[in-house]
Amino acid sequence: MFASAFFIYTMHLDSLKLTSFRNFETLQLTPSAGINVLHGKNGSGKSNLLEAIFVLCLGRSQRGNKDGDIIKNEQDSYRVEGTMHDGDRSIEIAVAVMRRGRKQITINGVKSKALELYERFSVVAAGPEDSEILAGPPSVRRLFLNLYISQQSTKYLENITKYSRILSQKNAALKENIEFDSYNYLLAETGAKIIIARQLFLKTLNKSAGSFYSKFSNNGELDIKYKPSALEEIEFEVDESRIKEQFEARLNEVKEQEMILKTSIVGPHRDEIEFDINSFPARTHGSQGEWRSAAIALKLSVYELLKEKRGFSPILLLDEIFAELDESRSAAVIDSFNDLGQLFLTTALEPPARLAQKALYLNIDSGQVEVVR
Amino acid sequence: MFKSAASVERLANQLARLPGIGRKSASRLTFHILKMSKDEANDIAEAIKEVKEKVGFCTTCYNISESDPCFVCSDNRRNQEIICVVEDSSDAAAMDRAEGFNGMFHVLGGCLSPLDGIGPDDLKIKELMTRLKDDIKEVIIATNPDVEGEATAVYLSKLIKPMSIKVTRIARGLPVGSDLEYADSATLSRALEGRQEF
Repeated sequence: MFASAFFIYTMHLDSLKLTSFRNFETLQLTPSAGINVLHGKNGSGKSNLLEAIFVLCLGRSQRGNKDGDIIKNEQDSYRVEGTMHDGDRSIEIAVAVMRRGRKQITINGVKSKALELYERFSVVAAGPEDSEILAGPPSVRRLFLNLYISQQSTKYLENITKYSRILSQKNAALKENIEFDSYNYLLAETGAKIIIARQLFLKTLNKSAGSFYSKFSNNGELDIKYKPSALEEIEFEVDESRIKEQFEARLNEVKEQEMILKTSIVGPHRDEIEFDINSFPARTHGSQGEWRSAAIALKLSVYELLKEKRGFSPILLLDEIFAELDESRSAAVIDSFNDLGQLFLTTALEPPARLAQKALYLNIDSGQVEVVR
Repeated sequence: MFKSAASVERLANQLARLPGIGRKSASRLTFHILKMSKDEANDIAEAIKEVKEKVGFCTTCYNISESDPCFVCSDNRRNQEIICVVEDSSDAAAMDRAEGFNGMFHVLGGCLSPLDGIGPDDLKIKELMTRLKDDIKEVIIATNPDVEGEATAVYLSKLIKPMSIKVTRIARGLPVGSDLEYADSATLSRALEGRQEF
């Protein structure tokens, strides 16, 4: 049975309060620590509610939106507040964003960095937009890597933050015709760490996502290949100092080209992941159905990985993932999530029967939430 | 609302321009100054005037100084063969308080930050290179451990190394007298990277 009582320890959302968040003027919610089914018509704001939970957990949206876009029309700021239950304690979190882009995160009333949220909490979101990981632009795949590797290792998050700061300094130097060799050195140093983390993550992911995919697709094959832009070929054994050397050499090769283009063209900010389904590139040869199954396999693997790494079940947000699956497949997907902690599930249809029994039912209509049963 | 005298408001406005001083602190300071004796208040005013009149830059190390060369550059008891490069005068003062450093200073006047339009020509880098033509054995780079300070350090090391001068970077890690449990994870992992064998 899922939602088993035997956890190392549990982490769940106790209460949630939204202020001018997307279509919600204000909203208050006291979810169940187990399964929550959010029922409602299209456009009622179910997905926005899941997004708000993600924002509360990590201080940013999983959709890659700019913070300002999330604010309800004609308002100057949004605010997401909530209480997280973590083992034997309650933690108050608030994330507030102004339209001008200033963000403030507080934990138990103390101003904090987003990094502290990553250290404490973990959340996995799956939804229809995940097909973009297979079929969309490379930036979607990099966002996927960054969101979930950062939850395994805050060191990775620090490196990503540092890397993008170095990158913007280098791009500014390129525009101003200032000497930029020192930025290449720093990019290679920080970038090598990012490349290694991505390589290890994708190697683990390839194994487990492959086996989930075969389960959901009658023995289909999913293969994931990491294509770091800084290296010709990434070896099985990763050696930080070698990658750093190769990356810096590559940066030297493209130096003149970058001076003409006035932007940085090589490095983790240009990395790509290649997904092959039954030996064909998924992006060009895959079908909608294959993308969706592969996306769910990916998110399931991430969930398992995080659970193992963190020692607790991340909060799980499933947005309309049953819309295109029959009941037995839905059940297969749900069964695959072991040791489920807290789950939020949106659906416009009736939810799968075996979920409906134990769940807290919430109905969302025109920005209001009502407990049905 | 209570409207204060123009001179009172002027002082409050001037004080509020100082870093770390908000509206409220500025008005508290203003009323405190109003309560002072005339002599006390004059002392403050004089001190501000004097510092601006007397203090300039040392044309050797670009530290703030009342004399040129400054007292560090003209002190021949100090080790003339080591130069510690810092971003600002306040950093030089901090380094000078540290025991274990008895060399010379060079103040860059900031750090490289193309985003703010600051390139090598905006810092006292050429001046540093000129100084290195004399008998310098070691350059210690003590810029801040942020991206801008690191980039400045790398830039300098690339310039100086070909001159066969030893270039070193100050270590990063835990502050002395602090508790491990209160250190942030970035500092701790830096400290781990820089661990030393007994």
